[in-house]
Amino acid sequence: MQNPSRFLKHPDRIASYFKSEVPVLIIVTISGLIYNVGMLAGPYFEGQLAQRLFDIYHHRAVFRDMLTLALAYVAVIGIVQAMRAVKRFGVRRFANNISRDMRRLLYNHLVHPDAETLSGEDTGALLTKAISDVDACAEGLRKFTTEIFDTGVVMIAYFVMLLHYDWRLTLLACAFTPLAYMAADRMKGRVTAANAAYKKSEEQLNTVTLDRIAHAVTYRLFGRESARDAACEAQLSDYEDKSAKANLYASALTPLYDAIAMFGAVMILYFGGRNVAGIGWTAWNIAAFTTFLACFTKLAVKASHASKLFNSVQRASVSWKRIKPLMQDAVEDDFHPDDQPVKSQPLIFQNVACGYTAPDQLSCLSFAAVPGEIIGITGAVASGKSLIGKVLLGEAPYTGTITVGSKPLSTFTPEERLTAFTYMGHEPELLSMSFKDNIALGEPLNPTPYLRAAALERDLDDMHRNADSAVGAGGGLLSGGQQARLALARSLAHARSIVILDDPFSAVDPATEDALFAALKQYAKGRVILLISHRLAHFPECDQVLYLENGTAVCRTHSALMKTEPGYRALVNAQKKGGASDAKK
Amino acid sequence: MPKNNALKTALKATVRRHSKLTFVLVLAIAASVLTALIPPLVLERAVNQLAARHALPFTLALIYFAFVVLADLAESLQDAAVTVFGQKLTHGMRTLLVQKLSRLPADYFNTHPAGETVSIFTNDGDAIDVLYSDGVISMIADTLKLAAILAVVFTRSKGLGLLLLAATPLLYLFTRWCQRRTRNAQLDNRRAIAKVNRHVPETLSCLRMIRTFHAERFMEKTYDRHIGESYAAVDRSNFIDSIYSPVVLVSQAAVVAVMMIYAARGQTYRAFFGLSVGSAVAMIAYVGQIFAPLENIGMEIQNIQAAAAAVAHINEFLNEGEWVPESLPPADNTDTVFDNVTFGYNPDQPVLKDLSFTLHPGERATFVGRTGAGKSTVFHLLTGLYTPQRGHIYLGGQNSAALKPKDRRTLYGYVPQQFDAVPGTVRDQITLFDPAIDDAAVHKALALTQLDETVNALPKGLGTPMSPDLFSKGQRQLLAIARAVVSDPDILLFDEIAANLDAVTEARISVALNAAAKGRTVLSISHRLSRMSQNGQIIQIEASTFLNKNL
Repeated sequence: MQNPSRFLKHPDRIASYFKSEVPVLIIVTISGLIYNVGMLAGPYFEGQLAQRLFDIYHHRAVFRDMLTLALAYVAVIGIVQAMRAVKRFGVRRFANNISRDMRRLLYNHLVHPDAETLSGEDTGALLTKAISDVDACAEGLRKFTTEIFDTGVVMIAYFVMLLHYDWRLTLLACAFTPLAYMAADRMKGRVTAANAAYKKSEEQLNTVTLDRIAHAVTYRLFGRESARDAACEAQLSDYEDKSAKANLYASALTPLYDAIAMFGAVMILYFGGRNVAGIGWTAWNIAAFTTFLACFTKLAVKASHASKLFNSVQRASVSWKRIKPLMQDAVEDDFHPDDQPVKSQPLIFQNVACGYTAPDQLSCLSFAAVPGEIIGITGAVASGKSLIGKVLLGEAPYTGTITVGSKPLSTFTPEERLTAFTYMGHEPELLSMSFKDNIALGEPLNPTPYLRAAALERDLDDMHRNADSAVGAGGGLLSGGQQARLALARSLAHARSIVILDDPFSAVDPATEDALFAALKQYAKGRVILLISHRLAHFPECDQVLYLENGTAVCRTHSALMKTEPGYRALVNAQKKGGASDAKK
Repeated sequence: MPKNNALKTALKATVRRHSKLTFVLVLAIAASVLTALIPPLVLERAVNQLAARHALPFTLALIYFAFVVLADLAESLQDAAVTVFGQKLTHGMRTLLVQKLSRLPADYFNTHPAGETVSIFTNDGDAIDVLYSDGVISMIADTLKLAAILAVVFTRSKGLGLLLLAATPLLYLFTRWCQRRTRNAQLDNRRAIAKVNRHVPETLSCLRMIRTFHAERFMEKTYDRHIGESYAAVDRSNFIDSIYSPVVLVSQAAVVAVMMIYAARGQTYRAFFGLSVGSAVAMIAYVGQIFAPLENIGMEIQNIQAAAAAVAHINEFLNEGEWVPESLPPADNTDTVFDNVTFGYNPDQPVLKDLSFTLHPGERATFVGRTGAGKSTVFHLLTGLYTPQRGHIYLGGQNSAALKPKDRRTLYGYVPQQFDAVPGTVRDQITLFDPAIDDAAVHKALALTQLDETVNALPKGLGTPMSPDLFSKGQRQLLAIARAVVSDPDILLFDEIAANLDAVTEARISVALNAAAKGRTVLSISHRLSRMSQNGQIIQIEASTFLNKNL
């Protein structure tokens, strides 16, 4: 049944879901029809059993007749109920499938946010909420499908069977069934109103409860706890009231509808009795009488439940309406940068100006890096170091010319960008999976060399873990430095032509830093590495250093900068003085 | 502390407080049990008459109908009584939960996310709701019905009675089996859903990484895997759900068949099964009635399982350690005193060690020290949110651990680092829903904090519903000060209120602070020496070493 890579077409149409589940629905329909028609077998056989007993007492039949009839009865009921089990399971499978499809689709939107929703923080919250709406929706569809068979089809089958026995009596007896339905329909308005009031009260109760708990300490500090308890209590009373009312409408009325419908039974007992006595419209035996009455009783019960069908439709449509706007066609994206070859290509900045919202923070940036080079980028706090990475990612606007290989960056498609750059940001952004999964991200690669490059092998040994061990939620089982190094290992594993590493050495001791830099040098072959850092111990080994100051940058070798830039010299010397300690502190 | 059992406590309280309703409930259950027995008996009579080839008198038909209506009415009454009673019970249970909140130590709220606690009130509360309205009471009624029908069956046919008695334990075992399988499947599903639910916020927080590494497909696959686990577990639970009721109904048919076969077997068995044709019809109806409640019980398995877990959560919550204001005598002066206080959130790791200081009324003190050194802790202790492991603390002469809720607002005003907006109007932000504080007082507090113009410019003034975009960050701090001074307290406690503000706002706030501070004892926490401490004590707080110098 699993088909994980396919999404529905037109997921905003409810019919699409039914269409996608045609095989299941066919099974449901066949088994549902057999079951519901087979439901007639119960009353029919029960009538026949009573008749056979009567015949035996009057020596018109023998024991063997009863035996065969009883066995047939059990066999038929067995088949019918087996069909019922199939139908029930089918309907649930149907709902389960829909729930899975909808969730997958919503997640697809979550993980592929389009440009305009990306900025909106609440998109995530919205989708998170929608995912919980999916259950309500699938449940609604399930109930709807169930009720179509259990109420709709069954009522028709019963009615036809009754007509077959005695059409006049059927019409007479069933005249009261619509009354039951009408009574239910009349109450529908009130039921809905009571339900709405109940839902509203529930919402208010949740608000009051959240307020009471979320602000508990404030209320305690200001001596307002008992007053807020009173407010909760008042809302609880209101909720009790509304909830009782809604539930009363939902449950207590049903037997009354049944009573109305059952008035038809008076007709059956009287006229049906006449039939059996041979003075009625049709000649009946006891079997016919019993079957007719049993059948009618079940019909009356079904009729009193008819409102369920409408309720379930209504409930499902509410949650459907809520999630429908989110049900857009899925983004199907089979591109993967790791499938592309890594091209050796230079990176050239020519007179670039850039900034986070407008290109006004850094200006006159010019430098060129050829494959195999490590470019150190540094500057004082808030000098705009991270900005350069953001520009290459396309998250910050720029003017001027940036060329990658022979192509200007401004003409890059998203795929080309992914193929050209690898970015490691400040936040490690680790997943609560294993070391291996965090590095491989689903690609079939061996994590060992990358763990070694990021100097994580010893940590693993010390922690008695291996590559398959979990790193905890957000990498919570690791120290800050370990998290950063795991993020570095991930970046190296997927390294493209140009690798941007934003502060990979923070929270790392000097010895580890040496090891990491050595690994970087190895991975720099055929690539350009932009090393953004405020730890300058290895900057002398960088091929060039981009030093940011006063809204612009100078790009030279370390030794040239030491001569020409007093700011850079000061930074380097300050770090030397404090040993390898963090320049920020 | 005796172990709380929420179910029992709430049940007892509800029965005691609503004795009439309880009586009606018992009566309704009895009535519905008894009236459900009658219609098949009338039917028995009718069929026996028919078997004797007599037509039925219209009155008999009417009597049958009357009893059907009676049974329906009784069932309706039972449903209503169950609903109302169930609601009263859940109300009682929720009241217990609310009352517990005031007795929880402040530490509970600091260590438990509000969302978690709320879900005990809402989700678990709802599950209990379902348990009462659909589960427990209906089950009691169903069991009684079962017993009554069995009794009647025995008067008509001992054989059938024994047959049913024999079938019941088998069905019970089957039901238990189903319950266990369902529970296991549900546990698996909950585990899978937890993974699914964790995956979504994780995706949101790692969105940039996912994009830059183009790991969308990997993330989707992972999500699919989690959903797949949930899908499989739900499928298992659905399977049980699907076969349970059919199995019950097939058993029912089997019982009927066996009964009929033995009834037809001949004289010896007939005496035992003793069925007239009418009785046979009536017995078939009864067998249906016996299996219906059994089936219902099975249908409710899932709800009841969920409710059992909810009850466990609620009991756990109700058994959380409690905190009550102690009854300690006030000092004989109105000084604010720390007398050799030692305290740690974890008693093994004291944050404050032997801290002492004294402030006379009207004096000022500023607490300075590194972040995490325990400055805010001093305020937590002064306001009695926490009690020290050693030493005595007095706030304006009152023993901090014995502060009564009603005295708090006139004794001290507390301005936290961040304003805690409550749902309600702008007025509510300042009064905290205290009707004793009139608008004149509110306006006075607003004027003092220079917020009156801002508030007057709002569409509905004080009655404007509070929303985050109504006030800037600085203005929210001013609101917090207004909230603290509106009740004209003797002492003001300021907790780093200027920590994250720009210079202009800070200047504005310090004007408001100075206005608010006139004539009051003021304790403030600051990581830098602000204007507030120009005169008064500077109390340096550092891990385990304290300097207390008068400037």
